[in-house]
Amino acid sequence: MSTAKRSVPFSLSRLGIVAGNTFLEAVRQKLFNFLLLLAVALVASAQLFREFNFGSSELKFIADFGFGAMVFFGSILTIAATAQLFFSEIENRTALTLLAKPIWRTEFIFGKLLGVFAVVGVFCALTTGLLLALIYNRETALIEAHPEAFEAGRLIHYGDLLMMGVLQWLKFGVLAAITLLVASFSNTNLFTVVMGFFMLVICHLQYLARDAYSHVTALPLRLLVQGLGYVFPNFQVFNLADQIGIGQGIDPMVFVRVGGYALTYIAVFGALAVYSFSQREI
Amino acid sequence: MNVAPVPPSLPHAAITITGLTKDFSINLRGVKLRAVDNLTLAVPEGQVFGLLGPNGSGKSTTIKIILGLLEPTVGECQVFGVPSGRVDSRLNVGYLPEAPYFYRYLSGTELVRFYGRICGVPKARLADRVREVIDWVGLSAAAHRRVGTYSKGMLQRIGLAQALVHDPRLIILDEPTAGVDPVGSAEISELILKLKTQGKTVLITSHLLAQIEDICDRVAILDRGKLILEGAVAELVGRQDQQALIVDTLPASELEELRGWLTARGHTLSAVEQPRTRLDQLFLNKISRSPKNGGQA
Ligand SMILES: Nc1ncnc2c1ncn2[C@@H]1O[C@H](COP(=O)(O)OP(=O)(O)OP(=O)(O)O)[C@@H](O)[C@H]1O
Ligand SMILES: [Mg+2]
Repeated sequence: MSTAKRSVPFSLSRLGIVAGNTFLEAVRQKLFNFLLLLAVALVASAQLFREFNFGSSELKFIADFGFGAMVFFGSILTIAATAQLFFSEIENRTALTLLAKPIWRTEFIFGKLLGVFAVVGVFCALTTGLLLALIYNRETALIEAHPEAFEAGRLIHYGDLLMMGVLQWLKFGVLAAITLLVASFSNTNLFTVVMGFFMLVICHLQYLARDAYSHVTALPLRLLVQGLGYVFPNFQVFNLADQIGIGQGIDPMVFVRVGGYALTYIAVFGALAVYSFSQREI
Repeated sequence: MNVAPVPPSLPHAAITITGLTKDFSINLRGVKLRAVDNLTLAVPEGQVFGLLGPNGSGKSTTIKIILGLLEPTVGECQVFGVPSGRVDSRLNVGYLPEAPYFYRYLSGTELVRFYGRICGVPKARLADRVREVIDWVGLSAAAHRRVGTYSKGMLQRIGLAQALVHDPRLIILDEPTAGVDPVGSAEISELILKLKTQGKTVLITSHLLAQIEDICDRVAILDRGKLILEGAVAELVGRQDQQALIVDTLPASELEELRGWLTARGHTLSAVEQPRTRLDQLFLNKISRSPKNGGQA
């Protein structure tokens, strides 16, 4: 008998293999083609909607519109892709074969998460890149037409736009982790998607509740609202739109803090998803 | 052949199941369905073990518990001495699920390579190993097609390939021949016997009892989750008190002579029959395809 008992340590490479396969599924199932088309159409349309006053306000409009579209469609993409890529494993029973291998459920869940994160990352990189190119183009044109308005050089801080793109990506990461947590215990794709949007709205609006209740004197209620404020991440944190590109710019420290905020929530929701998934009967 | 039941404590068991019960809650009022009922079973190492039973008797459920995909309600289960549910219990196990379905967007080769990587097959050997197992299951010609285009039997074959890619010591096959043509079915039997000669343990469920009888050393029969019968095939189906003699056709007079001869010595001739070729044998002889070309559709 050679019952050499090897233990199986947690493996990042297995996690990466699952993530790679998840990404490949998104690519080959044509989820992507649709998305890329969407991204291009959106950013391009920012140009059609532009206001015709000169100078910085037009550039700011393009940036705002572009990022607004990116957030809107990115959120839809994130929720739909997470739910789809998770349930395709469950419904097709491929999870059965995969989890019968020496693989941790942690690797499975975080692999899925990483795969979705990569898909959303491509989307963000593409839209941000297009947007940057668009604004740069427009700014160059404006400089030629009105050199006097640009005496101090270019107005747009392109580095800030890039940071903004990265922050949106991280926010989608948090959203993906939340959706995956819902998926880990839910039975249907539809329920997951609906709950995902519900959570998205809560995360966007929770600051309203926190503000409204911050003056309430009843301590328990105030604590409850504050507690909920910690449970649900505040998505407004990622919205540095007022500083986009122009003016004082994004403080790198704020960027790092917000990034840390996102990664913390991704880790916590991911861990909860792993816990909930480990109870699940496949 | 070792026909004595192997007690669960002996290290020679690849799988030991002790007092296993599995309940599913099937509605919100807490009504339970007992899929496996107090099952105790040992699968000896190096043998081909058949798990039989009618539909819904708990075969697949038992297998899923062995693989740690389901938690037992009561009882326990070990694979090579490691409690199932632990990740390392699955290191040496290959599994083909019933009615398998795989990532349709991968090609056959990519699929097997994916599972090989998950199982930690060394990179240097991976490509050769993948080609080898795909060849074993006779899918070489279709290996570069997307799995989404495979037929039912081809899915079974590619499933078999992924179960073998990491050279496991225990192979669990849940209805490997469902949907496979007789040629493929015979090839799978052959493959299983080959695995046995390599010292592997095979746990197989199937509704093709003739096939099970041919390849299994031991069988267990479940009914509504309960173990009805367990033992060595040779003992269960062999009749020790009778013998069959097969001769070329005798004229009636000689037959009478033989009967008299036997009676004089106190024996009885209980049946005179025309032996028949089994239909599957006939099929195999007529379809004179060379083996290993299944899936060239
Ligand atoms: N996830 C589940 N939830 C509820 N009941 C289940 C579940 N899985 C299996 N069952 C029930 O458990 C019983 C045993 O099912 P199982 O799939 O183990 O049967 P089987 O012996 O493999 O049958 P078959 O020969 O048809 O494959 C069946 O009555 C089935 O309905
Ligand atoms: Mg079954």
